[in-house]
Amino acid sequence: MYRYNAIDKSIIEDRAAEFRDQVARRLGGELTEEQFKPLRLMNGLYLQLHAYMLRVAIPYGTLSSTQLRGLARIGRIYDKGYAHFTTRTNLQFNWIKLEQAPDILDALAAVDLHAIQTSGNCIRNTTADPYAGATADEVDDPRVWAEAIRQWSTLHPEFSFLPRKFKIAVTASAKDRTVARAHDIGLVLHRAGDGGLAFAVMVGGGMGRTPYLGSVIRGHLPASQLLSYLTAILRVYNRHGRRDNIYKARIKILVAALGADEFAQQVENEWAQMDCSATDLPDAHLAGIRAGFASVPFEALPPVSAVLQVARKTDLALARFVRNNVRPHKMPGYAIVNVSLKAPGEVPGDCTSEQMDALADIADRYGHREIRVTHEQNLVLPHVKLDDLAAVHTALRAVGLASPNINLASDIVACPGMDYCTLANTRAIPVAQAIAARFADTDLAERIGELKIKISGCINACGHHHVAHIGILGVDKKGEEFYQLTLGGSGAEDASLGSLLGPAVPHDQIVPAVEALIDTYLRERRETERFLDTYRRVGPTPFKQAAYVEAH
Amino acid sequence: MTYVAMTANDLRDGEPVFWAEGRWVKPFLQAELFATSAPAEAALSAARTQPGTVVDPYMIDVVLVDGLPIPTAYRERVRALGPTIHPDIGKQAVGGEVVQAMRAYAGAARSSGRLNLISRK
Repeated sequence: MYRYNAIDKSIIEDRAAEFRDQVARRLGGELTEEQFKPLRLMNGLYLQLHAYMLRVAIPYGTLSSTQLRGLARIGRIYDKGYAHFTTRTNLQFNWIKLEQAPDILDALAAVDLHAIQTSGNCIRNTTADPYAGATADEVDDPRVWAEAIRQWSTLHPEFSFLPRKFKIAVTASAKDRTVARAHDIGLVLHRAGDGGLAFAVMVGGGMGRTPYLGSVIRGHLPASQLLSYLTAILRVYNRHGRRDNIYKARIKILVAALGADEFAQQVENEWAQMDCSATDLPDAHLAGIRAGFASVPFEALPPVSAVLQVARKTDLALARFVRNNVRPHKMPGYAIVNVSLKAPGEVPGDCTSEQMDALADIADRYGHREIRVTHEQNLVLPHVKLDDLAAVHTALRAVGLASPNINLASDIVACPGMDYCTLANTRAIPVAQAIAARFADTDLAERIGELKIKISGCINACGHHHVAHIGILGVDKKGEEFYQLTLGGSGAEDASLGSLLGPAVPHDQIVPAVEALIDTYLRERRETERFLDTYRRVGPTPFKQAAYVEAH
Repeated sequence: MTYVAMTANDLRDGEPVFWAEGRWVKPFLQAELFATSAPAEAALSAARTQPGTVVDPYMIDVVLVDGLPIPTAYRERVRALGPTIHPDIGKQAVGGEVVQAMRAYAGAARSSGRLNLISRK
């Protein structure tokens, strides 16, 4: 994987030193909270309900085993031995002390990690396909372009104070594992008619209180011109974005107000008068980035593993794990292994330091030292030999990481909610735990099939409920926790926004309501339809009738 | 009868703290309860002169149940206890009757002091 060069290292070391000085001045009384807050937020440090929270950037969701061990160590020394992987493929520590934050930034810098641009109105960490470099269905490695975006956007002076935060996703596969259409910019790489690499550029997607799916403003952007075209988009947004109203400041509101065609025209006009050569990466530099991702020494292996075939017949838990968590790899004899952070009863996305260390060891021994983070709060070992799957499964099981439930009803996304977050109106995690417990029986969950349940504890939608097959949004009714249900959303290549089913239900009625929705699906489904397919075919009526009969 | 108490977050470690006769304490049980607004307002004014100690002081509503103080807002009970999903983590780890009473309390209300703080910003 790509390694930071001397410039990258000096940037994060300098930033850590700068923040140490800022913290000292705050603690010494030289800075007020009003002066200090924007400085700490520039380093991902939030003040939450119980303590400070530090959000660490995982660049395009890619970690080395060394970095994962570094995070485990921080969790052990400075936190309570666990951390939380987010829907933005970042990592959050929940129990941070301000006076220790500078030491933590140093510890992060020691493993080429940081918290720069994990908050504030700037370009945030880019989302990329967690199967990058491993899946056969990609036309290129999207990490090459995500890394180019990282280099271009890091401390970008023109784009450090945008009207609002800005999120970009890159995928190079027909299967979208990035929720590209719900990002400020979604980039889908494909081969153009002339055989060259080109991006379909979508702009104006987003979740939050006003959800939109992005619109394509350019179908075929030559890949080599990506950074100048992104610059043109950001300039139009920087010029016209609504700085007067925080609720209307995202680019999605501007694109909706202007219309996608007019927005596209303004971008084209801006782009036409730019000196693109000053922004677009020289071929040699891009080749250098590409070389950083081409170093996995795959072996020539047969496409079928006799060892695995035998093991699957005798070990039913392994067979189930392979069936639900393992995906095909581009190289014969290899597989992509999804590691679920959704063991029923546990907190979605949480991972203990012990588990991180164990996973780092597994990645060292069996996975070319790489780990990926998904927007569905799971992890991925992208390059595992089929011959090693049984050993990997055994090692994962030893630390509670072998739940065979990827994409099933217990694989639930949840934001931290009111258990940690100062913005939340309701809790999200206990709702996820209750639903996961109800569908913990994997036989039942497999009969139900693919089902994306996502829960947000407030309208900011960090739990991505808008793009869930069953979305759950916590709302505060006179201080009591109620939950709205939305159905029919998707964050995949068939992206859609869920529709509100009806009135919110109280906390103790949410599991019966979800049960009723699933029962309705099982009754109505045809052949191999997923929940989403059945909902799209029959519409909301039978689901609405069932949910509100059961819940009231 | 309802009371108010004053809360904030400790600058150094971010923990919720509560006002008790001129100083900040960490256990909610030790929070000073104000029955009338004048001394509460005076305490809030005093707290705002301590920006090097705490962040964002505000008032919370409290009721007494069997003589034990309970924040009326669920959010404030979570702050006073710790995450509901980890009963062994946070302030609640010490246990005791006030922790049990806060967990058992079923009343609900918005955190009005917090909302005032947000609107003031």
